[in-house]
Amino acid sequence: MSVDFFWRLPTHGEPSSHRNPAPFRGDWPPGADNSQRIGLSGGGEDGFSYIDYVAEIAKAAEISGFHGGLIPSFPMTDEPWAISSILARETKTFRFMIAFQPGFLNPVTAARMTASLQRATNGRALFNIITGGGGPSQLWWGDVAGHDDRYTRTTEFLDILRGVWKGEAFSYNGKFYQVENAALPYPLTKEEFPEIYFSGSSDAALVSASKHADYYLTWLEPFAQLREKFERVKHKTDALGRKIKCAVRVDIVARPTEEEAWREVKRGFENLSPEVIQRFNSRAGSGDSVGASRQGGFRPSSVNSYKDLIVEPNIWSGFNLLRGGQGNGIVGSYEQVAERLDDLVKLGADAFILASTPHLEEAYRVGEEVLPLVKGLR
Amino acid sequence: MAIEFIWQLPSSGDARFGDARFTKRGERDNENHVYSSHVTDPRGTRFNYFDYLHQVARAADLTGFNGIQIQHDLAGDESWIIVGYVLRGTRHLKLLTEFEASRGSAVYAAKNAVSYQRFSGNRFAWQISSGDGEQVRKQQGDALAEIDTYQRIDEFIRVAKGVITQAPFSFKGDFFEVLEGGFKGPLAGNPVPTIYLSGESDQAIAISAEHADYHIINPLKADDIQPLIQRINAKNPELAISLRIDLLARETEEEAVADAERFLAQTASAAHIDTGNHLPLVYQRLATQHTHANLTLVGSYADIILQIKDYINAGVSSFIFAGIPHLEEAYRIGEHVLPQLRALSNSASNAA
Repeated sequence: MSVDFFWRLPTHGEPSSHRNPAPFRGDWPPGADNSQRIGLSGGGEDGFSYIDYVAEIAKAAEISGFHGGLIPSFPMTDEPWAISSILARETKTFRFMIAFQPGFLNPVTAARMTASLQRATNGRALFNIITGGGGPSQLWWGDVAGHDDRYTRTTEFLDILRGVWKGEAFSYNGKFYQVENAALPYPLTKEEFPEIYFSGSSDAALVSASKHADYYLTWLEPFAQLREKFERVKHKTDALGRKIKCAVRVDIVARPTEEEAWREVKRGFENLSPEVIQRFNSRAGSGDSVGASRQGGFRPSSVNSYKDLIVEPNIWSGFNLLRGGQGNGIVGSYEQVAERLDDLVKLGADAFILASTPHLEEAYRVGEEVLPLVKGLR
Repeated sequence: MAIEFIWQLPSSGDARFGDARFTKRGERDNENHVYSSHVTDPRGTRFNYFDYLHQVARAADLTGFNGIQIQHDLAGDESWIIVGYVLRGTRHLKLLTEFEASRGSAVYAAKNAVSYQRFSGNRFAWQISSGDGEQVRKQQGDALAEIDTYQRIDEFIRVAKGVITQAPFSFKGDFFEVLEGGFKGPLAGNPVPTIYLSGESDQAIAISAEHADYHIINPLKADDIQPLIQRINAKNPELAISLRIDLLARETEEEAVADAERFLAQTASAAHIDTGNHLPLVYQRLATQHTHANLTLVGSYADIILQIKDYINAGVSSFIFAGIPHLEEAYRIGEHVLPQLRALSNSASNAA
């Protein structure tokens, strides 16, 4: 076996460290998503914009030995299709993992976009297909489909993407999509079909994943729970006839010593405003994402110290206090972080999407100090 | 009024007025050996057509065009990927990107557009086209009836403008629905892409009059331009007129006509000379299969400059030009035609 490491492009801007939300790189002020502040590359008059900083991270990641990076998509972020095509020419090996919801694009258009992006990047595009989320926020995007319906739609979308890929006339009559004699034009047909990282924890998601996913991607959960999840995914998808691999998206804080690593987290926690803690303590689940509620399930009922959020050795569940996204992450010395990653490999992980703040400097740190220590043996 | 000159980016392939075969410069197959086996070829498969498209975009930027039009051509590469690919290699060009309202969620399109605006210094522009009829649409996974195409364009623009400029924004139409939408934070406050629409029906012109900044005309005959412009201006006198036309310009008329006739002989095209009493000559459907334009001005630099000046006097303030091959002809037009037109439009604006 072999393990692939990806990094993340922080589409929602980023603080200059885990310790403090300011100064902030990009024009997203933390905690206030309806105002705009000029930060580094924040749309000033110098002609630079946030893409210049994102380009720095992508190049740091490819130099540091990552395969590429996940490009997340949320209502407040720039879009990964745009970012990928814009950075195609100035990167060499960086693979663009585009997070997107299939319902937002016509599948035949998406097939042509994908093949063109493969041509523009010399085959460096791949997908993180998102289907869940949902609830009222799905209508923000203009999407009216319900939760389980959306997985049916994802399956149909990927059926069509694969169907038109080889350039022979393809017809399809689905619940959501109908196509008559569609085909990609030559030479777009020369390209490899992109690898698919698939997210979603519900049963409907697993049925769809078993048909189309190459990797089943999950947030970090407590290790025992994750082992059970990977086994369930592999069991279910094996039964449906497709071998899929597993991948983990995880935030890390790695320092030369464990003490230094926890100091980062402690300083970050202490710099949180009381309102942020209060909101964290009282936050009710929203939307109908199963993955998000699995994460939230083991949060302590009230938090007074960063230590309250240590759920097992080197695992801290307060990362979503420091920035958006998932709660759980790995904190420790370089050796410890590498060991925890190896633990995850042993319980079934074949690929990782790592992230740490700030993503530019930490890409070098993790690439130089942590990845060489990972054994990658199951 | 400032006149803009836009050059076409040929997204599905190029050709030469002296050699009508389709080419995709840079595109290579492993088995595609064009040289004798005794001649070494260093290229391998390192290049493809994107490398050439980038050169055409740079050529337009370097030679003083105001923008590029990225063709929506189902036989070629996808226009939104191409625009991203050339975005950071160009400095001044308006990036006019053609597509259809069938591409998916209007919110998603608007959101991608905001990223292109933010990262290009607001150079992104939209040309929303109505497509090639029901059969082609069905191939594209789009079951829309022909009669509904313009209504969908109308809704697409309402939704896109809505989420870019307002929050919260809600909409419920026949094709799109949004609840409590609208962009926030750094995605708020960005300009709506400049909108180019086209079409000669009353409905198309009415939608342009309401939403568009430019209405693109592609008339079959030069003589039809004046009445068409009058119809459009009657609906909205502020709506700018953009003319889509090809140029085959040479130092002399003889050279230009020779190239046009050779091209016709190679393509067996149905093109013919439009009977008119003045130069340059106007050919119909000369290189349409390559450029999608109906008309080509064929003549000397001087005559073509005069004809373009006539168009300007008739009310055209934007030109979308093409010529094949698009790289060489961008330099030719940029060097031999645009400078004098700039002088004309500058002196006109100075006098005004």
